[in-house]
Amino acid sequence: MSTRGKAHAETILSARGIVNRFGKQVVHDKLNLDIVRGEIIGIAGGSGSGKSVLLKTLVGLHQPDAGEILLNAKPIQSIGAAEKSALIGVLFQQGALFSSLTVAQNIMLPMREHTTLPAKEQERIAAMKLALAGMSADSGIKFPSALSGGMVKRAAFARALALDPKIFFLDEPTSDLDPIAASGIDALIRQLNQILGITVVIVTHDLTTLFTVCGRIAVLVDKHLTIDTADKLRRSDQPWIHEFFHGPRAEGAMKARKPNHGN
Amino acid sequence: MTSVPVNKQPVSTAPSPPTVAVSGDGDLFALAGVLEIATLAEARHALQKWSKHASSRVLDIAGLDSIDTPGALFLCDLRTQGVELAGIRAEHQALLDLICELDLKPLPKIKVVPRWRQIVIQMGKGAHDARHEAIDVITFIGRAASWTVNALMHPHCLRPAAITRHVAETGIQALPIIGLMAFMIAIVIGYQGVAQLRPFGGEDYTINLVAVSVLREMGVLITAIMVAGRSGSAFTAEIGVMQTREEVDALNVMGIEPMQVLVVPRIIALVITLPLLTFFADIMGLIGGAAISQFLLDVSPTQYLTRLPHVVDGSDLFVGLFKAPIFAFFIAIVGCMHGLRVSGSAESVGRETTRAVVKSIFLVLALDAFFSILFEQLGI
Repeated sequence: MSTRGKAHAETILSARGIVNRFGKQVVHDKLNLDIVRGEIIGIAGGSGSGKSVLLKTLVGLHQPDAGEILLNAKPIQSIGAAEKSALIGVLFQQGALFSSLTVAQNIMLPMREHTTLPAKEQERIAAMKLALAGMSADSGIKFPSALSGGMVKRAAFARALALDPKIFFLDEPTSDLDPIAASGIDALIRQLNQILGITVVIVTHDLTTLFTVCGRIAVLVDKHLTIDTADKLRRSDQPWIHEFFHGPRAEGAMKARKPNHGN
Repeated sequence: MTSVPVNKQPVSTAPSPPTVAVSGDGDLFALAGVLEIATLAEARHALQKWSKHASSRVLDIAGLDSIDTPGALFLCDLRTQGVELAGIRAEHQALLDLICELDLKPLPKIKVVPRWRQIVIQMGKGAHDARHEAIDVITFIGRAASWTVNALMHPHCLRPAAITRHVAETGIQALPIIGLMAFMIAIVIGYQGVAQLRPFGGEDYTINLVAVSVLREMGVLITAIMVAGRSGSAFTAEIGVMQTREEVDALNVMGIEPMQVLVVPRIIALVITLPLLTFFADIMGLIGGAAISQFLLDVSPTQYLTRLPHVVDGSDLFVGLFKAPIFAFFIAIVGCMHGLRVSGSAESVGRETTRAVVKSIFLVLALDAFFSILFEQLGI
């Protein structure tokens, strides 16, 4: 909460005039996005609206047809691998844990590549990350194939946080999870944001996550982004946004919001 | 930016690496700067000199600008060693509380089995698996054979569209590569034959050698191995992917027997195509023999053609073609069986495909050895 006050202070990541097209189909048409340090921003949109492509563009995995991404005011393509790994963490939709490594080895891999810490210390840090993500030390020696869907997400969470990134991207963090596991992930995101001050970008169409976790929501409609708080977006005239924020699911998710926000 | 760059040196865009400064002596030390994963080793090294005998050690961390989670873990470890942390900034308090309250257990050690025991375990597992494999293969052969016979008895159960598609994929599209391989294998045998027979003045017998070995063995073997690698693996991969996407389960739920729609058409298609491909390979092999005769023996193609009926007879062709449908049956069975064995993950598709190819080539060669002995005994 402490970060909300100085919200307008600093832009950590900024997308300028992003254009993405596949063949003749334009997915993003000159869209702009400024992500403020310390905020939690949600990116929503219909299936096939290009949310995942936008995420890949923001983290520099996809080169846009036009426009640029500035991370800490530097073009993202010019940032070196080691520096980038300490700045950006990504939770992929399927977890993307390396199947040939145990969970602990997965978490230690970025540390092994980018730091000179001794193995013992790395193991201790890995155990700490596991505990932060709500997993027991015993699950550290398991292979990803032996984990349930919720555990895979938590393990991937721990790995994405291995180098304490400054900005954390999550692609559908609560999809395929039961409501209990999904709420656990939501709480984890809030905790990381409040205590570690990590900037969080969530791509999701889980309305509960959008309403209860995100400070601002960027809705991707018709190749453009509409960015605002949930309350203001609910008053939007745009038909798709109106439908999105007023369907029966949205009303249910809004109810979940009250006890959390108290306003 | 007020400064004007004087020299055109590329300005390093990376921020200066974060540093941590350690100062103090006796019981009181102070940390200043950035305590993050990158500076952790430095801080630890600097604090190593700190005597553990000092009675009341105090670490002043008011000068720390930022702490990350490994840094907080480091501080928590110091705290448990009896160091008092002083001057904790408000923004660091929550992080320290969070990390210090985590119930950290060391990662359990993975049990390492000694090498010799691993070998024993492997052998035991291998024997156990081999027994199950054998039972599985025999069971599957029985099921597949009964479904195939059933389909042939009730022609309305046959799926002509699927069969023709598989005939096209496994047969027609394989023609170029199989023709080329048969041609080249004939040339290889021809060269070896000429080299070995020339000292005895019997190089003319190269024609016999090439023609007989191509018709009896090489034509069908090359074709079967190629088809096992090309189509057997494709069967496994196709059915395996269907298995991972629960398409096979969907068939079962709809009351459609996967054996009937997935396995039987593939078996029938391969049993049709492999003999035809073998015949094609035989022809190409004989053409290869003609090429060798022309260039190494100065026997013209017309002379070669007139000699051919004297050196080979129908039984040579029969022996080769007889084996083709049997090989085809086993290649298709093994391919489909491993496809249906795929469980869930994508890795398992790759693993089963490898197994299917290895096993079907092994089966082809084992059967071929068996037939060689059989035909020898029968005098064919």
